[in-house]
Amino acid sequence: MKKAITRRRMLQLTSGGVAAATLGTPSILRAQESYPDRPINIVVPFDTGGYNDRLARAFAPFLQEKLGQPLTVINRGGAGAMLGHTYFLQQPDDGYTILCTSAAPYIPLNILTQDATFTVEDFHMINLPSRDYTLMATSAGSDLTSADDVIARLKEDNSSLSIGIQPASADLVNLMLLCDANDISREGLRLVTYDGGGPTRNATAGGVVDIGLVGGEGFLPLAEQITPLIVFDTRQRDGWDAALITDVAGEDAEFVVGSQRGWGVHASMLENHPDRYEILAAAVEEASKNPAAIEALKNQQLATDWYGPEESNKSLAATARVMQQHVDLLQGT
Amino acid sequence: MIDFNSVGGAFSLLTSDWSAWIYLIPGLIIGLFFGAMPGISITMAMAIFLPMTLYMDFLPAIIFLTSIYTGAGFGGSVPAVLMNIPGTSSAVATTFDGYPMARSGQHNKALGIALASSVIGTLSSYILLFVLIAPISRVVLKMGPLELFFVAAWGLMLLGSLAGRSLARGLLAGVFGVLLGTVGMNTAGFIRGTMGVPWLLDGIPTIPAMMGLLAASQLLGLINTTYLVEDEASRKISFRQIVSGLRQAISYPAIILRGAVIGILVGAIPGVGSSISNLLSYSETKRNAPDGDTFGQGNPKGVIAAEAANSSSEGGAMATMLALGIPGGGATAILLAAFAMHNIVGGPSFIGHNKDIVYAIIFSNFAQAVLLLMVGLGFVYIAGYVVRVPLRYLIPTILVVSTFGSYAIDGTSSGPITLFVFSLLGWAMVRYGYPVAATVVGLLLGGLLESNLLRTYQVSGGDPAYALERPGALLILAIMVVSVTITAVSKARRRAGDAAVGQQKPAPKA
Amino acid sequence: MQPGQGRLVVMWGHLALLAVIAGVVVAYWMDARATSLKVNNLLLVQPASVLALMLVALVVPQCFKRTVPGADEEVPAESLSDLGKVAALAACFGAFTTTLEIVGFDVATFLFMIAALFICGERRWWLNLSFSAAFTMLLIYGYGALIPFPFPLTVL
Repeated sequence: MKKAITRRRMLQLTSGGVAAATLGTPSILRAQESYPDRPINIVVPFDTGGYNDRLARAFAPFLQEKLGQPLTVINRGGAGAMLGHTYFLQQPDDGYTILCTSAAPYIPLNILTQDATFTVEDFHMINLPSRDYTLMATSAGSDLTSADDVIARLKEDNSSLSIGIQPASADLVNLMLLCDANDISREGLRLVTYDGGGPTRNATAGGVVDIGLVGGEGFLPLAEQITPLIVFDTRQRDGWDAALITDVAGEDAEFVVGSQRGWGVHASMLENHPDRYEILAAAVEEASKNPAAIEALKNQQLATDWYGPEESNKSLAATARVMQQHVDLLQGT
Repeated sequence: MIDFNSVGGAFSLLTSDWSAWIYLIPGLIIGLFFGAMPGISITMAMAIFLPMTLYMDFLPAIIFLTSIYTGAGFGGSVPAVLMNIPGTSSAVATTFDGYPMARSGQHNKALGIALASSVIGTLSSYILLFVLIAPISRVVLKMGPLELFFVAAWGLMLLGSLAGRSLARGLLAGVFGVLLGTVGMNTAGFIRGTMGVPWLLDGIPTIPAMMGLLAASQLLGLINTTYLVEDEASRKISFRQIVSGLRQAISYPAIILRGAVIGILVGAIPGVGSSISNLLSYSETKRNAPDGDTFGQGNPKGVIAAEAANSSSEGGAMATMLALGIPGGGATAILLAAFAMHNIVGGPSFIGHNKDIVYAIIFSNFAQAVLLLMVGLGFVYIAGYVVRVPLRYLIPTILVVSTFGSYAIDGTSSGPITLFVFSLLGWAMVRYGYPVAATVVGLLLGGLLESNLLRTYQVSGGDPAYALERPGALLILAIMVVSVTITAVSKARRRAGDAAVGQQKPAPKA
Repeated sequence: MQPGQGRLVVMWGHLALLAVIAGVVVAYWMDARATSLKVNNLLLVQPASVLALMLVALVVPQCFKRTVPGADEEVPAESLSDLGKVAALAACFGAFTTTLEIVGFDVATFLFMIAALFICGERRWWLNLSFSAAFTMLLIYGYGALIPFPFPLTVL
């Protein structure tokens, strides 16, 4: 069994590497606390390499410094985070399994379009630092140069522009609300559907579609190849030189915020383990405010801003409500 | 196009910091090992080692990760040849001829051929990258749905040639695969065929399905055979045979070059990559080879074509990542994350300002390719011992490893269950003369085909004149038609020639 | 099976496989139509389903063969005991893959290895048991170290 021996030797080699990777960060043990006294799992309901995975892996060293226990990232991707969210809720609410997810739109989407067995209230968000927003953009070489151009063209003939978009997304809801506000018929819009933000952005930047509506943060690496048209937020984001939705559709413009990503726990943890929750929430807050963490994450275009549980949960609930109102838009185009 | 100042800069970068080189061989070994384990993707291997690179300097970190990338790219062909397990979708075409070679006792040679083709493929793709990075970056984003649809259709032409004895059965196997490939939520958000199973929303898990169709089905059928290689004399592990495989691969530079060009072009398209390029290259090589009819029965050229293309896709994906700062797939997403960890943002400005680093990465990949040859030789030599294991041990072992691998993909039993269902289906199909490879190809291309057909329809509003606005698509179509016509004409001529000379060999059935 | 001269032989297994394929295609097509009749849903699925069913119809006659003396048999020739072994192994494999998350990877793997080794012809129990145990351990700890999520275990 020569093969088995070599294979085992190789395994030792590689597992040594993994151990070195996880043990690499020094941890400050807080002896007086009983929680946490063993490693904590971070469930990421997406595959390796996506935003949440990168956020979890980048933030983990700073969080484990505060908690004094190693953190292990567990990827449970698939079915639009549905599998990962279900898996997470099946784990005990003892604070040894925490969640790093795109709470909005995926938790409401699981519920509204995939018959999930959970509700938004089963989750409690400690902090959702990343708050994406829809950006309407066009290829840098396009003859469309402003939001007004787009609206004028669509008003004249709503099938005159091809629109790159993800089905069942906040972006689609925003597009429809924008059309409503400008008396553009929803029927007959030339929607070109993509499976993810990346492909939508590539198609927009490459001029494959006339305009694209997709999460704005991800556009940053392609900034030179697009012309930003409308930022769907009340304030200017990421330095885009574009109209705000409030400029285009009035002060009381209706729109939804994009992905809200960050850290969550079981809602039941607050009742069953309030002391542990306090420790965990404090650790997330301190780590989020750690200048070294802010620096490291900013460089990876990841967010660390501290909004806190109250605001995070409020904002998630608000998004869930708006999505509920537009549930008909979320079920296939 | 090549900036020689930066080339000099790259050399001084690489020679001034020797620590960068320390990570080359460990990276390759890690990659080979992870790649050879079914179900563990290149992305997963790189993601696991990503945190380690936080404590390295930028260049060593990138060299380490790209070494894993290179190693894993070849690692996948080892189980493909020896056990008919495509551990990743990029090794599918390798199984078509690699496994038959192994079964007939040419396992050493097949592995040698695969290794040499991979090394040369990687090497040539980085040489091409060196020259082509700028033009590629201008074209990649302009690839629209019609272009991608033609690429997928090109891949589907393989179905015809995989058909084997009965064209109807071959096509049925292929169309059935295409249909299965569209199960789940389609790109417009419609959910079909999931039977209420949540994990089917993402479609049928491709890798477990492939492992079931190709490998597990075989194993069930091998139950009454004692060894993978039935002839005892051929069951030896011969270094000389491996080396003769290396040599044989080199003697087909045209196939390798074609594979590398297809690999780099297809690999550069985000979201398509190596899983399609190996099929295209195999298909083209088969059609152009005078002995095309023996493909699928252990023709070394098939292995060369597949391996040259899947390894050179790495170069294409790197071109897109470096030039545009967008990841074509999981592996390059990890690399971008590693860039970001060191405060470096990929994209046009990165290439503009850091040409020396870009060239340093390219040069280190040349070195990786050369070192892969040496590390790979040892790896392949050891792996060859698989053929010595009696099948009564090998069958349960591979079934279990495949199961673990299918679970490892996403950590749910969706993988193992899919593996089981498709191994039964595969066994029955093989038994009644259906080419399972056609189903695998259909399964791989189904989603790509539907998404891009749909997007073409959406973007054009159903107006065929849209095609005229897409010169790129027309170009692809033209190349496809010309290539098919040329081979058809030359085949017909050859057959006419054969007939004139006299019936020396039995006329091959088309 | 005793095909007489010039008699019609039905390949029931092949027919069953075609029935499964046709059944899956029809069920999928109907499910897709039930989801929505929009072009965005049926653009590829509907024509591909029709094509698949046409091909099935084309292949069905191949399941019936008039045997001609001297022609080579297309019916796969395996003895019944061989087929039994395949069925047994497939059944074990099915049990293994569907229950491993419930009974734990360690137990399931160990049991499957023992059964499969036996079916495949290893009759020396000590070798069977020790190899199964060693291999199970190796896989659990080996794969466990490589992948970013845990295996559900019962004993180990």
